[in-house]
Amino acid sequence: MNRLNKLFASKNNNLLSIYFTAGYPALNTTVDIAEALEKSGADFLEIGFPYSDPVADGPTIQHSSEVALENGMSLKVLFEELAELRSRVSIPILLMGYFNPIAQYGVERFCKKAAEVGVDGIIVPDLPIYEYEKMYSSYFIDNGLSNIFLVTPQTSEERIRKIDELSNSFIYLLSSSTITGYNLKLSDSVEEYYKRITAMKLKNPTIIGFGITDSSSFTKACNYANGAIIGSKFVKLLGEEGYMDNIEGFVKGIRP
Amino acid sequence: MKIKVCGLKHPENIKAVAALQPDYAGFIFYGKSPRYMANLAAGALQTIPASIKKTGVFVNESSENIDRLVTEYGFNAVQLHGDESPEFCAAFKGRVTVIKAFGINEDFDFEQLKDYANNVDLFLFDTKTKEYGGSGKTFDWAILDQYKLDIPFFLSGGVGLENIKEVKNITHPQFYGVDLNSRFENEPGLKNIEKLKEAFKIIKNKIQQMKYGVNEQGYYGDFGGAYIPEMLYPNVEELREQYLNIINDDDFKAEFDDLLKNYVGRPSPLYHAKRYSEKYGANIFFKREDLNHTGSHKINNAIGQILLAKRLGKKRIIAETGAGQHGVATATVCALMNIECVVYMGEIDMVRQAPNVARMKMLGAKVVPATSGSKTLKDATNEALRDWIGNPVDTHYIIGSVVGPYPYPDIVARFQSIISQETKAQLLEQTGKELPQYVMACVGGGSNAMGMFYHFIEDEAVKLVAVEAAGKGVNSGESAATTALGDEGVLHGSRTILMQTEDGQVVEPYSISAGLDYPGIGPQHAHLFKTGRGQYVSITDEEALQAGLLCCQLEGIIPAIETAHALAQLEKMKFEANDNVVICISGRGDKDLDTYINYFGY
Ligand SMILES: Cc1ncc(COP(=O)(O)O)c(C=O)c1O
Repeated sequence: MNRLNKLFASKNNNLLSIYFTAGYPALNTTVDIAEALEKSGADFLEIGFPYSDPVADGPTIQHSSEVALENGMSLKVLFEELAELRSRVSIPILLMGYFNPIAQYGVERFCKKAAEVGVDGIIVPDLPIYEYEKMYSSYFIDNGLSNIFLVTPQTSEERIRKIDELSNSFIYLLSSSTITGYNLKLSDSVEEYYKRITAMKLKNPTIIGFGITDSSSFTKACNYANGAIIGSKFVKLLGEEGYMDNIEGFVKGIRP
Repeated sequence: MKIKVCGLKHPENIKAVAALQPDYAGFIFYGKSPRYMANLAAGALQTIPASIKKTGVFVNESSENIDRLVTEYGFNAVQLHGDESPEFCAAFKGRVTVIKAFGINEDFDFEQLKDYANNVDLFLFDTKTKEYGGSGKTFDWAILDQYKLDIPFFLSGGVGLENIKEVKNITHPQFYGVDLNSRFENEPGLKNIEKLKEAFKIIKNKIQQMKYGVNEQGYYGDFGGAYIPEMLYPNVEELREQYLNIINDDDFKAEFDDLLKNYVGRPSPLYHAKRYSEKYGANIFFKREDLNHTGSHKINNAIGQILLAKRLGKKRIIAETGAGQHGVATATVCALMNIECVVYMGEIDMVRQAPNVARMKMLGAKVVPATSGSKTLKDATNEALRDWIGNPVDTHYIIGSVVGPYPYPDIVARFQSIISQETKAQLLEQTGKELPQYVMACVGGGSNAMGMFYHFIEDEAVKLVAVEAAGKGVNSGESAATTALGDEGVLHGSRTILMQTEDGQVVEPYSISAGLDYPGIGPQHAHLFKTGRGQYVSITDEEALQAGLLCCQLEGIIPAIETAHALAQLEKMKFEANDNVVICISGRGDKDLDTYINYFGY
């Protein structure tokens, strides 16, 4: 059982996860930010590694990725920074990024290294189910890493069942078919979609992401899932002066 | 999988079957068969197109009679369905295609086929009966596993709509095609056209597994697939499920062909370039895609995809463009079909191809600048993908090259394959030979090249030459020579070869020609490159511009700078005097006049 499974076993609602891009706004901040987030009460974290062509991301995360790359962030550098992760941070950590940097690093080597520095799960939006199952799943499983799949309002029931079967920590629900950075509008159809998912009684917990920006959207999302993820809104904060001092206020503002 | 329809005897019915375009049509010369075609006039077979092999079916007939009937009816193939010996078969080999039929049951001894192996072209395995076939019954197809020779075979006997799906699952390497007969009839010898249509549809919608083609998972060897975020999955899956059904449909084909002919102006000429031929010491032919409406090959794909989008019920079109040619082609077909059109274009490309920006706007399209990354084609593609994520239901994304997640590379290649399809027929007419020694084309994403290669790929004698843009030189740091500089990885949804850093970040390419300024190539190109089937080379900005000018002066044709890259490669080739060389003139140079003028100072 990795840290993610333990977390979900001990707590199953109002879970708060925060996403940020490694290397933004500067190198050597990853563990500092993670530690500050844990202290402020975040339940688990997603650390993004940057990619030059992030097609699933809106302007905010695109910008953070560009800056991170200019700063010299890479998987190699990230793993160096994360060497001290587990001496300072104890909440579950996921790495999130696109497939090509992983493929160049080597998928097996990537999984080993991630496990070695204490990472619990991986989110690779553009690694499809077919390829994951056929070519890579053993590397994830052998290293005790959870692979997290995304589900959108357009994902068919059959496919959701398949994803539920392949998952072993949680399923990432997208509030709508969107790239990151747009505000969640809780329209009737979104509500209907969440209800449809709830009615499926999946074996894995669900966490809602993309479009959660504040306390009110967080609370709404938690009515339908075990928790929610905040990304772009937090990345924006990291772009501001004195961000380290404002992390606690930010987290407490989301979930008082 | 080939299709043979057998047992025809009524003139009108023959015409209707021929219109379905089977690969073989069989006529039975056996008095005891209810499908005996004794009363059919020889003239009735003349209306059958040459692409269909007319096959006479005989049971223990004398060779004199067979000879006479072959001449009289113009048969291209004979099917020997009795107890004919290997020597008997050998007498026809070379003159016509020889098919030797055998009735199969559990006791059939495949060893006996060995003696026939060098004397026939094909086998046909039918269900064993006393009456030499025609029973309408199947045999246990698992027996076919015992057949180990390398002569391809037809499967016959009881194939009908009920079991055609099982036929599709036969994976025997020598399985060549099916013989459709008694299960598709209103009465013996009178075929039910509707049932045949249904079967043709099912068979043709199976992806033909060819050495260099795509497989059912969307891979070309190691390359291809659909590496897309879940948000795009429903869009891409809808396409994957529908595209073969739609593009193989008769209505679709009729509309596509009509627009290509009457709107685009196809067939495009195959021009024997005399002065080029003299200069390079070979027969150089230009395939004139520059003469298409809107000035390049891009329109072929745009027409195909807009018809596809219409049949998918889409109300809005998005596209990316580099040189603007694909954007113009897309804006054009959207105007034609009265569909909303949004084109993403890199901010830098909008400046260097300003006339095309104006064209798109005049055609009613909205042009949105891509301001991220290198602000060129790859970033325009990212923006289009982001748009598609946000508009999953009503929008179709018309990708402009053989790139992107499967099925796009296959869709675009099929629509562009008209280039090589016409070339084959035109070469036959002009030179007496279908196959040239070389076909050449420039490669950005690779769509004009794939169109030029498509019908020659499996003919390994034809050399495929693909020309990439070296920019200021392969090693200058400002280049778009993907195969020279790239590694395997994933770009825009497919596993392919792309220019990237050690860390897997996509490198910003450079070429003077916006249409070649792309850091990847389509997955099928990656496969042709890796297997050595294609030769991938590169040409610098300067070499291309010089070649463009030469083409103006020798042949009176101002080519697009993309095309000029392919022309420049001629300088580096060594031809034999009799070589036939076809080069794809992918587009005209009007859009590049400023660049030419600035360089040469006209
Ligand atoms: C005239 C012309 N040729 C070639 C290309 C390159 O594209 P592809 O490699 O897909 O044929 C372009 C692209 O814009 C073009 O406009």
